[in-house]
Amino acid sequence: MRKNDSTEAPERFQYLQSLVTEFQDTDSEEAKEQVLANLANFAYDPKNMGYLQELQVPDLFLDMLAEENQNFVEFGMGGLCNLSMDPECRDVILQSGGISLVTNCLSNGREETVLSTITTLMNLATPTTRSKISEPGILQCMLRFSLAESPRLRNLAAVFLQDCCSEEQVRQAQQQMQGLQTAIGIPLPKK
Amino acid sequence: MAAPVNKRTDCWRSPEVYKHHEQQRVCISRPKYRDGRKAKAVKVYTINLESCYVMVQGVPAIGVMTELIQLCALYGIVEEYRPLDEYPAEEFTEVYLVKFQKLTSARAAKRNMDEKSFYGGVLHVCYVPEYETVEDTRLKLQDRRSYIVRAARNRERERTEATQESPTSSDATTLLNKILPRHDETSKNENTREALNVSHYSEFPPLPLPPEEHYSFRQNVPTEDKMGTLHNSFSNIEQPQAESLGSNPTTSNWDQGTEGRLGSNPVSGVRLIPRIAHLASRKRKMERSEEHSANISGENGLLIGPKLPEPPKLDMEDESLNTTVTLIRSTMTQVGSIPEVKKVEKKAKPRRRI
Repeated sequence: MRKNDSTEAPERFQYLQSLVTEFQDTDSEEAKEQVLANLANFAYDPKNMGYLQELQVPDLFLDMLAEENQNFVEFGMGGLCNLSMDPECRDVILQSGGISLVTNCLSNGREETVLSTITTLMNLATPTTRSKISEPGILQCMLRFSLAESPRLRNLAAVFLQDCCSEEQVRQAQQQMQGLQTAIGIPLPKK
Repeated sequence: MAAPVNKRTDCWRSPEVYKHHEQQRVCISRPKYRDGRKAKAVKVYTINLESCYVMVQGVPAIGVMTELIQLCALYGIVEEYRPLDEYPAEEFTEVYLVKFQKLTSARAAKRNMDEKSFYGGVLHVCYVPEYETVEDTRLKLQDRRSYIVRAARNRERERTEATQESPTSSDATTLLNKILPRHDETSKNENTREALNVSHYSEFPPLPLPPEEHYSFRQNVPTEDKMGTLHNSFSNIEQPQAESLGSNPTTSNWDQGTEGRLGSNPVSGVRLIPRIAHLASRKRKMERSEEHSANISGENGLLIGPKLPEPPKLDMEDESLNTTVTLIRSTMTQVGSIPEVKKVEKKAKPRRRI
């Protein structure tokens, strides 16, 4: 049954609002995981970006990154990966200190979380933030990932190194790695 | 037509069983208000998980590879495919790797083929992004990003138009008037882009188009289910404005879903003229031209335009031979001037039923 756009928009907003409300009110970890996954999936459709922004869902996702529950982290980062493709949501995430919060997840043990982290960082790259995103520490991490066994991790890291920083920066990071071996300590995520 | 893949070791190497290949348990504890029509696992889909490459497990090992690829081809152009003999498979089943030309096709195939029965078996379809090359990954991300940016721009445009409209005026009519000229422009672009796409892939004979019913869903099915799993819906992702007023097709539609649009665009600028009308107009033109030429030949002194070259005069250097030539030529002219005998249509007798 096709709904008229004028009636669908408020219904959609209300539904998303009820999800957020349930997440905030429930004590059940399981229910929180389900709702978080729902919201992250809704963030995949650009039509919902405005509503999610209004409901401060970007901040909710950012809050999840510091949680102990690894599902929370994975789903929250997935939501950020989806949302950060939209320029307005990207700006909201940046204003809330998104880069440092997201960068911390590069050392996460779950591959899916790390993949979402790399993609989110790429999305957060603007002319203003590019220098922060291509800091030596991050580049060294990406260099390490580009040698990983996992093809997905290798590919994403390679795209990051090619698109988000200059060759000179990569060369410098490589030299630093050879000299100081600083990136060796960062564990690779498990499959 | 998709070709079986020659062994390229870089991306067609021995497969590993990754976690995202596994079918997770469905969630049964969802409260009713957010329980979807179909039971699903708790999983988040991002662009990293999706891919043009899909793996199809559970294909009965009875030599139905061609049928499988034909089924896949319903959802879009298949670029490459091969059996994954090395991948662990259940007894009497095979596993296939299929690469679609477009991500939207892979999405559609996953949505429609996953958990479906096929020649007595049940298919399990999953994305396998580990088969991508670096370039595949980059293009995938770029396409996704540009689509989101376009959608954001369209949203912004609609927002400014909505605020510019006065609250008391008839919004629907004015918006419709604005959308309709845009339809003509975009339909022209669509036709050009479609023609370009068709010519670009002229090396392979085109596979059958996806069934039109998929595209009729564009306006009839809600975009996501209650769990937000839009990743399953290929048509709605590419139609962000489908549910909005007048369904203004954006360029993203054509980037992603070109092959299925032949003849299905309801707001195309092309006017369809029935074949009978074509034939009738052609007949009228022919009759007019015949009359015209008859008039010209009948009026001796009013020839307009250059004369047709006369047949070259042939001198056989012998009177009797020249006479023969002239006779032959005149006979040929007479034969040429006789109108074609119209075939008399035989009326078919009704068959006698015994």
